[in-house]
Amino acid sequence: MKTENRNKSFNDFVSGAGSAVPIFIGYFTTSVAFGILALSAGLTPLQAVIFSMTNLTGAAQFMAINLIGSGAVMGEIVVSVLLMNLRYFIMSASLARKLGLNNNIDKAVISFAVTDEVFSVASLKPGDVSNFFMYGLQITSWAGWAAGTLAGVTMGAFLPRSLQDAMSGALFALFAALLVPEIKKGYRAAFISVSAGLLNTLLYYVWHISAGWSIVISMLVITAGAAAVFREDENSGDQSVEEAV
Amino acid sequence: MSDVLVIILACGAVNYILRVVPFVFTIGEDLPPYLKRFLDYMPIAALGALILPGIITSFPDNPAAGIAGAAAAALTAWIAGGLILPVFASIGTAWVVLQYFH
Repeated sequence: MKTENRNKSFNDFVSGAGSAVPIFIGYFTTSVAFGILALSAGLTPLQAVIFSMTNLTGAAQFMAINLIGSGAVMGEIVVSVLLMNLRYFIMSASLARKLGLNNNIDKAVISFAVTDEVFSVASLKPGDVSNFFMYGLQITSWAGWAAGTLAGVTMGAFLPRSLQDAMSGALFALFAALLVPEIKKGYRAAFISVSAGLLNTLLYYVWHISAGWSIVISMLVITAGAAAVFREDENSGDQSVEEAV
Repeated sequence: MSDVLVIILACGAVNYILRVVPFVFTIGEDLPPYLKRFLDYMPIAALGALILPGIITSFPDNPAAGIAGAAAAALTAWIAGGLILPVFASIGTAWVVLQYFH
């Protein structure tokens, strides 16, 4: 009996790790970019790797190094990260329900590595999802993110000077690349992102609000406005049909 | 501990709190539609605010390099998808602009 349980745990772990292979590849390549860009933002290689190991979050890490590079204070950075990642709260709430964990250690460890991709895989998996499946899935995903940053900071150290100079804008290129798939889905994302960008430009240049807080204000104002304005669209147009289902 | 390390660990703490609290306390899953949209739109607004006006000042001596680089990245992302290829496209484009247009 005991052996059977151990076999099931092992099989679940391997199955989880297998499901995470595409995540590993995606995380690794993105995290290489993070490692390179973290160096150009002024972080040390060790800080960059610690960042990835302790945070395991995508766009918010890129946002944080951008703010660190522009000399923002801790409050600005922490609040920006909090707002950008509020969605984890909802994902964890949904996942906690699905997993139904009883063990506090499982809860403490598994919650640490809830990401968009881990959430999607675990939520879409039919039937019960065991703690060992989650460990396999999450350890593999985490390893991809951490190893990618390590590879990135190693590569970054060998890049020629002129190429390093050309990388000052790469962070913004990355933000653009993150935004494009959202804009492809519909006009709302284009409207929301451009509005937030324009408001942020206004706050920064006209009212001289510091970079971090102007981003926080822009995020809150535009998101609150958009969530209110786009309500009407749910009863008309193509998008509403999909959303209603 | 350096200031940067403190910031990194504080961000880690924020991310962990967001993730662990719903596992410790039971949270209702049915959100009001407004709040759901609010959470959906937040990262998109964040990206917009991160791109503008930062892109203009990313190369203080040559703003065209930043704009051309981000445009190359957006185009690559639109056609090929992914993140690493658009980032390399932007670095290459910015490099060309910095070398030959100033």
